[in-house]
Amino acid sequence: MADKVRLGLIQLCGCSGCHISLLDLHEQLLDVLPNLEIVYAPIIADAKEIPECDVFLIEGGARNEHDEHLIHEIREKSKVVIAWGTCAVYGGIPGLGNLYDTEQLKKTAYETESTDNIGELPSDEIVPPLTNSVMPVPSIVDVEYVIPGCPPRPEINAGAIVALLEGRDPELPKKIVCDECPRTKENVIPETFKRTFEGTPDPEKCLFEQGYTCVGMGTRAGCGALCPSAGVPCRGCYGKTDEVLDQGSSLANTFAAAGDEALKISDKSALFNRFTLPAALISKKQE
Amino acid sequence: MGKITIAPLTRLEGHGKVTIKLDDSGKPADVKLHITALRGFEQFVIGRPAEEVPRIVPRICGICQTAHHLASVKAVDAAWGAQIPSAAEKQRELMHLGNMIHSHALHFYYLAAPDFVLGPDADPAIRNVIGVIDAAPEVAKKAIAMRRVGQSMVEATGGKPIHPVTGIPGGLSKSMSEEKRDELLAVIDTMIQYGQDGLDLMKSLNEKYLDTINSLGVIDTWYLGLVKDGKHNFYGDTLRFVSPDGSEKMEFKPAEYLDYLGEHVVEHSYVKYPYNKKVGYPEGLYRVGPLAMINVCDSMSTPLAEEARKEFAETFGRPANQSIAYNQARLIELLSACERAKELLEDPEIVSTDVKAEVEPKAGNGVGVVYAPRGTLFHNYETDDNGIVTKANMIVATTHNVPTMEKAIQQAAEVLFKDN
Ligand code: SF4
Ligand code: SF4
Ligand code: SF4
Repeated sequence: MADKVRLGLIQLCGCSGCHISLLDLHEQLLDVLPNLEIVYAPIIADAKEIPECDVFLIEGGARNEHDEHLIHEIREKSKVVIAWGTCAVYGGIPGLGNLYDTEQLKKTAYETESTDNIGELPSDEIVPPLTNSVMPVPSIVDVEYVIPGCPPRPEINAGAIVALLEGRDPELPKKIVCDECPRTKENVIPETFKRTFEGTPDPEKCLFEQGYTCVGMGTRAGCGALCPSAGVPCRGCYGKTDEVLDQGSSLANTFAAAGDEALKISDKSALFNRFTLPAALISKKQE
Repeated sequence: MGKITIAPLTRLEGHGKVTIKLDDSGKPADVKLHITALRGFEQFVIGRPAEEVPRIVPRICGICQTAHHLASVKAVDAAWGAQIPSAAEKQRELMHLGNMIHSHALHFYYLAAPDFVLGPDADPAIRNVIGVIDAAPEVAKKAIAMRRVGQSMVEATGGKPIHPVTGIPGGLSKSMSEEKRDELLAVIDTMIQYGQDGLDLMKSLNEKYLDTINSLGVIDTWYLGLVKDGKHNFYGDTLRFVSPDGSEKMEFKPAEYLDYLGEHVVEHSYVKYPYNKKVGYPEGLYRVGPLAMINVCDSMSTPLAEEARKEFAETFGRPANQSIAYNQARLIELLSACERAKELLEDPEIVSTDVKAEVEPKAGNGVGVVYAPRGTLFHNYETDDNGIVTKANMIVATTHNVPTMEKAIQQAAEVLFKDN
């Protein structure tokens, strides 16, 4: 791709954090931007119609019918579609909504104690109806690449863009968060599990081995092990590695080594699939 | 009757669409702002251990995620009755200021400045931040530098620049290193200088656009902001309402919010319309954010920003009702955030390792409030004996402003259509 790359960016069921992470290239932006022609980006520019694009970065999955419609339209108009960030790739945090019925989600939001006209709801005729569950982009259309991370670190975004500019395939880290983690491991299985606020973890040793529910061993590397370095367990925001089918089951496997103690951990479904429920083998609570 | 639709609404965080219905004479009769997204956080934090919620709710907004993280952890502290060490309070406040600096710089330079620097009539294709980089590279470089310092302040205290993680019930999981403190101290004076430069730029633009500012989007509303001892405070402890003409004040603590705030479901939008409950709906609609913060406080808490506030009040009145004056108000806050960050960085407790108190999960109800860059933010959770969330309510910054944005667009449409 010798000429300027015609780039589109959009936020669907995401938080715009992936866009912000791109801006977090800071001064380096001035090197990357001249190679790009940003032809569509509602967050920063006023273009109204989606044009033909070389590369389109989609942030967020689909939560309503309008999102779904846009994903199809983007696919038709773009040569390369990238599911950008964990929400787009796996559903992300909004995917925790799949633990509940969609009607229930709405009911709760519009029936809080602070609401004065309980019983009224936004009209499906005016606002786009919610989909039955949160759907990651690759479950709706084929994509050329995925870039997980909540959000992907700026270097990962830049690496992917530069690779595309140079006509190469963007590459993702293959290792796990533990490989990047500065904490030392002794290969012991914890006897009991603790919650994050309990006690004071040893600053040098593996959190999992100290009994904290770290999920770095089932999570793709790329962040530089930010959370365990800051004294809290990894929550899996880069999703699974290429080796496994399902992040939750691979984590459940590791934790099962602790036997009955692992069963006592509260809220296992939202721990092992915190960011990936919509892409999991069992992706929605059954009625 | 004609109808005009503006979609998607651009350069704002979130998903919006505007419809303007015209009457037979072509005047805008009815303006509706539709917010078209709902994710359901109030429901899906239920069932989660409360200490996990501050790691979930930042995903409400990728720009003011730190504010969500902190309001959330404050709410859990309150529900469990945790008293956090003063060093943790200061380090949390610094984390919050870093987010303010990044977000205000982003909002002014990346979102608003293209209209001012390039002019509102410039080609939409270049009227964006990239156009600013080409037309005024020195402005763009300052914007980038301020964002970078703000984000590194969040990373130094919160562990991640976007969606920080260190806030845990009882305090913080990690204290800031002396090395990071020194790095930030070394650049903070430059940031204060850039803050002043931004204000000077804004003031020079005022001269050019004052007529527009005084005519477009001018509306009377209540204002809601956060203060401490009456002074402007991003991380304050008291909420204050001020009436449209400035004559009436109401103050309340976060835990009393249900007595003062109501929310009204409307059919054309996924967001509910919050209002001042003591006044009623819709008379009690109010605005939050920089303009509201400057309008409600007695004074700014830092010296340079206080001078700027006085000047602002002379130009726009008190309270200022001009929606476009938000930009100048935002820059006063950006300067104030840099000044306050310097005070904190010079405080020895900012690297103290005494940042966490022991806590026990228990049944409780807690409210956490901070002033997010776009306005005051409320998180409220109820927990059971094991500290698992059983009920949640969140009133997030942007929603407070949706109803009044709709009013401001209606007013602006009336003015613009009269001229054409
Ligand atoms: S992946 Fe994370 S940062 Fe990106 S949109 Fe989703 S929640 Fe936001
Ligand atoms: S602390 Fe977590 S990420 Fe680090 S080595 Fe242990 S399990 Fe892996
Ligand atoms: S440590 Fe885990 S949760 Fe934290 S940023 Fe890295 S992948 Fe995400």
